[in-house]
Formats: sequence, C-alpha cells, structure tokens
Amino acid sequence: MSADDSARATPGIAGVGAYVPRLYLPASAYREAWGKGGAPGVERVAVADADEDTLTMATEAGRRALDAAGVDASDIGHLAFATTTPPNDEDESAVRLVSLLGVDPSVPTRQFGGSTRAGAVALAATVEATRGSGAGAGTGSGGSALVVVADSPRGAPESDEAAGAGAGAAALVLTGDAPLAVDAVGEFGDPAPGTRFRGFGSAETESIGVTQYERDAYTRAVGGAVEALGIDVAELDPEAVSLTAPDEKLPYRAADALGVEPARIAAGTVVSRTGDTGAAGPFLGLASALDSAVDAGGDESSGRSPASSVLLVGYGGGAGATALALSVGATDTNSAASSVVPVEAALDGDVELTYAEALRRRGTITGGEPAGGGAYVSVPTWKRTIPQRHRLVAGECADCGALSFPPEGACPDCGSLAGYDDAALPGTGTVEAATAIGQGGAPPEFVEQQQRAGSFPVAVVAFDGPGGEADTRTVSAPAQVVHSPAGTPAIGDRVEAVPRRIYEQEGVVRYGFKVVPTEARR
Amino acid sequence: MRDAYIVGAGQSKYGAFPDESYRSLFTTAFEEALGSAAGVEAADIDEAVVGSLGVGGRQLGLSGPAVTEHVGLHGVPCSRIENACAASGYAVRQAVQAVKSGMADVALAGGYEVMTDMSGDVAKYWLGVSGETEWERLTGTTFAGVYAQMASAYLDAYDASPDHFSKVAVKNHANGAKNPKAHLGFECSLDDARSAPVVADPLNLYHCCPTSDGAAAVLVASEDVASACDDAVRVAGVGAASERVGLFQRDSYTAVESSERAAAAAYEMAGLGPDDVDFAEVHDCFAIAELLAYEDLGFCERGHAPELVDSGATELGGDLPVNPSGGLKSKGHPIGATGAGQVVEAFKQLAGRAGDRQVSGANVGLTHNVGGSGGAAVVHVLEGGAL
Repeated sequence: MSADDSARATPGIAGVGAYVPRLYLPASAYREAWGKGGAPGVERVAVADADEDTLTMATEAGRRALDAAGVDASDIGHLAFATTTPPNDEDESAVRLVSLLGVDPSVPTRQFGGSTRAGAVALAATVEATRGSGAGAGTGSGGSALVVVADSPRGAPESDEAAGAGAGAAALVLTGDAPLAVDAVGEFGDPAPGTRFRGFGSAETESIGVTQYERDAYTRAVGGAVEALGIDVAELDPEAVSLTAPDEKLPYRAADALGVEPARIAAGTVVSRTGDTGAAGPFLGLASALDSAVDAGGDESSGRSPASSVLLVGYGGGAGATALALSVGATDTNSAASSVVPVEAALDGDVELTYAEALRRRGTITGGEPAGGGAYVSVPTWKRTIPQRHRLVAGECADCGALSFPPEGACPDCGSLAGYDDAALPGTGTVEAATAIGQGGAPPEFVEQQQRAGSFPVAVVAFDGPGGEADTRTVSAPAQVVHSPAGTPAIGDRVEAVPRRIYEQEGVVRYGFKVVPTEARR
Repeated sequence: MRDAYIVGAGQSKYGAFPDESYRSLFTTAFEEALGSAAGVEAADIDEAVVGSLGVGGRQLGLSGPAVTEHVGLHGVPCSRIENACAASGYAVRQAVQAVKSGMADVALAGGYEVMTDMSGDVAKYWLGVSGETEWERLTGTTFAGVYAQMASAYLDAYDASPDHFSKVAVKNHANGAKNPKAHLGFECSLDDARSAPVVADPLNLYHCCPTSDGAAAVLVASEDVASACDDAVRVAGVGAASERVGLFQRDSYTAVESSERAAAAAYEMAGLGPDDVDFAEVHDCFAIAELLAYEDLGFCERGHAPELVDSGATELGGDLPVNPSGGLKSKGHPIGATGAGQVVEAFKQLAGRAGDRQVSGANVGLTHNVGGSGGAAVVHVLEGGAL
C-alpha cells in the first residue's frame, strides 16, 4: 500500500501508552560485575520485577493507551499482541490480554512473535485488517483497534545480549479519524542467518557475533524496507526515526542508508534509558518522540515539540524489516489540537538495583518452589475468579445493593442468597490493615517471589465502589503491595490496583491484581 | 438438660519430640487424664471426640479411631473434629453435649498434633491451610501475616504500642517458666521481647507462639459419675460461634466477633459474667490475640486492653490472671491439642493442683479457644467445688 491509496479511510494513531518497569540496572553495575563494557551506549537497562512479565507490562501499556486516547476497552474491535518473549511459548497470551484489559471476548485477536520485527508487523497487519472498516470507520462500538507490543529479552549472563537486555511495553490505539495517519508500509527480507536468534526451547537470545556481517544485515533490511515504502523519505522528512535497537550504536549505522540525520534517530530512540526492549523498542521510541513531556535524552532535546512525522522500522534478526511512515495528515496540519497524539508513558525507572539484585529479580540465581508444596488452588477454581482477578469485578447484591468481593455466597450485609449483579470497581482504594512479610515468613508458594524480590507488604484494602472515591460504598479485599516506599503501608494510604503475576502452580501462571501506593504510581 | 463435669484431665509435655508419635503423645495425655479421675475406668467411656488439624498429613482420614483404638478404647465411637486451632475446644464442647443430652455418661475429649518433624517449608505450608485460601493466602500470608494486619489496625485505632505485645510475652513466659509441661518454659525480659527479629510487621518473634508437638485429654461425665470422683469441675457454660474465614470479609479487624458471641453464650448459660471469672486461659497464638481476647471476653472495654496489661491485673498475682499455664506463647501450641489443653489447665487450677502457678482462690475459670484468625471460637466457663 502507499500514500496515494486514499480511496479507503486510513486508520491512524489516536493514543499511545508506554510502560517500562521502574527497576533499573545502571551499566556501571554490569561493568563492575564483569569487568567489561556491556552494550554500547546503553546507560541503564530496565528490569522487570519478579511478578512482572510481558503480559503484565502489555496490560499496563494497553490501559495507558486507552486512557490517552479516551477510548473505552469496550470500543476496541481488534486486538494485536506482539512479543518475542511471551510468558509461555505456546499459549493464547492475546486472549489473556483481552481479559486483563476488559476488551470484548468476541473481538479478533492476532498474536505476533518470532522476531523483534513482530511489533511493526503487528501494526502493519492491523492497519491492513482494519482499513476501510472497523478501526478505519472509527464509528461506534468496536470501532477502534489496539496494538500492544511487549518484550523482555534475555541472554546468557556473560553475553552482550544479557548486558543490554531491558524490558518494556507500548500500545497504540488506532481509529479512523486519528491525527497521526499511517501513510505507507514497506517490507524487506534477505536471509542473514545468525544475526539474532533464539533456539527452540531456549530463553536466551544470541548471535554469532560477526560484527560487520550483522551491521550489514541490519542496514540492508532496514534500508530495503524504507525503500519499499514507495515514498520519498526526504519529502516525509521524519522528525523522529524509531528503529529496533539492541544498543545505542546499531540504529545509527542505518542513518546513511535512510538519508536521515543521526539527530532524528536520537529523537526516536530510547534504548540508552531502557536497554534492549526487543520488538517494543521502536514503539517506546515512538512514544518518546510523540510526547513532548518525555525528555528523549538530555538537554539538547528538552523543550522540543512533539514529532508530527515519524519513520518507524521494526527489524528482526535473520533478517527482515517492516517500515511504517507516520505523519499528521495534510488536512490536520493547521489544527494545533489534532497535531498532538495523546501519550501516557512511564519510560524511566526510579529504583536502582545492584547487579546481584537484578539477577535475583530475573530469577537467574534463585531456586524454584521449595519442598512442601503450595496452597492448592485448582486451575478451574482460579478460572472462575478471573473477572475478579483481572478486572476487579465485584457484585452488587440483587436484594440490598451492598457490594461483595468476591461476589459469591450469602450477601455480607443482608445474608441474601439472591445473587449479584456485576459491579466493576475502578481499582482505587484505601489501606485498612497492613503488614510486611519478611524473608522466611512467606508460605512455600511465595518463597521464590521472596527470593527474587525480598520482603513484601500485604494489605487489606477497602476498594472504592463503582462510583470511585465519591462512592460511599467500599468493599474489602487483600492484596500484596508493590513499591511501597515506607515498607509497610500506613493505614489510610490510598492505593491503586495493578496487574501482576500472583504465583505459578502446575506450570500455569496465575495473573491477578496487586496494589501500588497512589503516591508511588507512575 | 443435666449438668456435665470435668472429672479428669491430662496432657503430654508440649515441645519438639522426634521420638514420639501423635499416638504415643495421645497415650500419655489419656493415661494422665484417666489417672486423675479416680473411680472412672477406660471401660466406662461411651463416646470419644478428638481434635486435630492433621498437620503434616500423617493420618488425615480416620485419625480419631487411630488414636482411640491405640489407647485400647476398642469399639468406642470416635469422631474427629477439624476446626483449625479450635479443634479440641470444639471436641470438649461435643463431649459436653453428649453428656448433657444423656447419650453418654462418660465422654472423652482430646486433641493432638505433631508439628516439629518436618522442614520449615512444609510446616509453613500447613500453618497457612486454615486461612481463607483463594484470596487471603494467595497474597502470601500465613497466620502471622493476618494477625499482624489485625495488630496494625489495632495500633491505628487505639492508644497502644508494640510494647504491649511484648508485655504479654513477658507475662506468659513468666507463667510458663512455672509449668513443667511448657514448650518454652523460660522467662524472658522485656528487652528480649522488644528486640526479637520481625516476623510480620509489627509482630516480632516474641509476639508469636511456637509450633509444638503435644496431646491433651479431658474426661467429661454426668453428675452421677462425677459425685464418685475426687475432683469434679462443673461445666457451667459453653458457647461457640463461627465467623467469616477471611479477615477481609469481616465487619471489624479489631474485634473477633466469634469470640464475643461464644463468650456471651457461655456467660448466659452459666449465669455468670466476666466479673465472676477468677482466671482465664485465652488463645494467645499472637500477642495481639490476647489483647483482643480481653475485650472480646468482656474483661475490659474496647481499646482498654493495653491499660489492663499495664496494670498487671492479668499477671499471676493480679486480680484476673490470664494464661497461668504460660498460654500458647510459652506452654506451646500443638494445634489440635490446644483447646483441650486449656481445659486441662483450668481443671488443675480449679482442683487446686496447679503447683507453683496456682491461682489462689480460683473458683471460676474460663477457657477461650480460637480457630484460624477467628473463623471459629469456643468458650467454656468452668466452676470448681460444685459437688
């Protein structure tokens, strides 16, 4: 497709969300541990917490994108999820994402993976799938599409891949009347085996390490995809170029082939702050470029305007690339309001880890569940509570209207067994009781989490009713507290629910909610 | 309904006994109970009810008959009660009901648990099995965490400090040091109790009871049988109540409603009130639980338990000694044995056989046994010198 294919409505980007874990490892800690450099130009890498993975990060990014676009989850008619590091190699991760986000279960879901190009492929495929209808039409229920890209690559501990490995997720809401249109898509592939790959059953990305060969493969694929856009890059004049970036050097190798200034690449690249975020990298770069509030890398770029044209290229080792040209449409250029794509992004970490702590968080040096077994909650039992775990769906007593969580059994207020109507809670609440479980105090099923992340606070939270803080009704539920600056939270502290891994049993990860103090929420 | 009496009671030592089994411990308790009831023989026992959580999973099914057959009660109907830490308090209640109803003239109630013959991880698995599993446990808590949450709410609501938890520990250790059956029968200083490592903030190690091995047995009999015995303690009142299993499901985190209801029922049946109580054995699995018990049982107003501790009234020489045995904190807490073990202590006190820890002038005693964080509670009011 190309820019002149204007007979059909072209979907565009109406909102962007981005989530990068707040834990980070400075490059200096890696150098100190290994006595060598690490990934070129990477100042810090984001580290997923022990209870985070690509699915929880995708949920965080997806919720932010929906907020930014002002689109309700029920208006999403198409969902694409891209990652090279899904929680399970084989599993319907996208279906869980639909549930965690509250998207209608009947919407088409598409899952992409297999290479770090997956995010750009997901965006291109979603644009194609929704052209002229659905997201293209942008009308009514199901009129929007959501593309979510999350990645958390790993490498062998001594490798450059591990040195640079970051974590993050980004999401785009696509609608037909969005300010930032996808003008063109270009793709290119040329076999270059060994440039970035992961063997069957392995968690560790690797490459053969032939430097010039790998640079050439990258430049050739990225350049080929941009050429295939069929548009003049000089005419597009992208204010930011967002490329797949395993480190802070490789993307700049493509500057000549693309005919863009390195500063434009800098404007669309965040790898120095996040580390290698695989398929999510170009999208985090896009979020940064579109958000004037996000400082992309130092003094020279602070105070800049949000980009109105972006060249986004996803590259996958092996090698192939998909390029997308994004720009504010001609009819929109005079409208200041429409030139801004709303962005909700948390790109920078604020909790520094030591090298040992980072290895613990990643599970590199911790054991599994100890002998003794864990509290057994069967998978079918868990499945029945998924609306509560994923979306905090409480119940309103059919007789007296009191809230109940979980909504089962006799009404806690009137004792009626009449049943409950669904009442979705907004996820905000107040701490009613709290403790912190020290090392050695956790039941066996939480011992591995404690080995990885240390002591954890647990609170009983009075969650606000469906009307939010103004609702006079609350309903209580217990929850672990993440990122509690004071250790044990104080009674009366305000908190918000966040999606997290609760625990794993029988090889099945159970996702649910924890809470974060509102004052620590990013 | 006719009256029921405790005519004999005994217990094993509480502690860690790698050479003992749950059945050998129960045998020790049973023999002591039978030996203390002159005039009652094993063949007189019509009914047996025993309590156990089954920690370790050693004999989860039919563990009742497994212990009663072991002590030679061949053919006697036996049922096992599982109500977490309140299992054998409820077993005593069932035995009392059997006697009061006329179905049994002599009923055996008891309990047992072995908790120290497994790794720490296995023990922690079992310590959390009585919490609300699907939500509360899956936030990573065992009971220390849940009681710590109650403690946090109490400290927030009232004029109390963690020092009050430490003072409870000091008091109970002082009593337990006088009890040859105690698991942790040593004294501790306030500084020891203050400076112990944190288990679940704000509770430290000295604010938590140990896990113990042990067994206890009580013989409950009709007035006809009791009148021939040396010592007979009348079961003046019994009360029991349930409550929502998960703390988060309750109306209050600073009161245990099941304890309140159980106490109210027991007082009503006895025609007595908290002012009539001369001493009490209360369920101090965590120090906060003893403070809550003072209020739930009516020993003081809501929020005044810290004052009661500070006053010294609940020490052995005070107006209302609480846990003269050392309580769960010092005497120990073999889950299934604990409730019956409290009745053993009350029997000894009311019979004037409590040795160095004897409460002088003890005529009315109360036992208070709680399952989990309050999902089940049972209270007995016992009266000495009635026959």
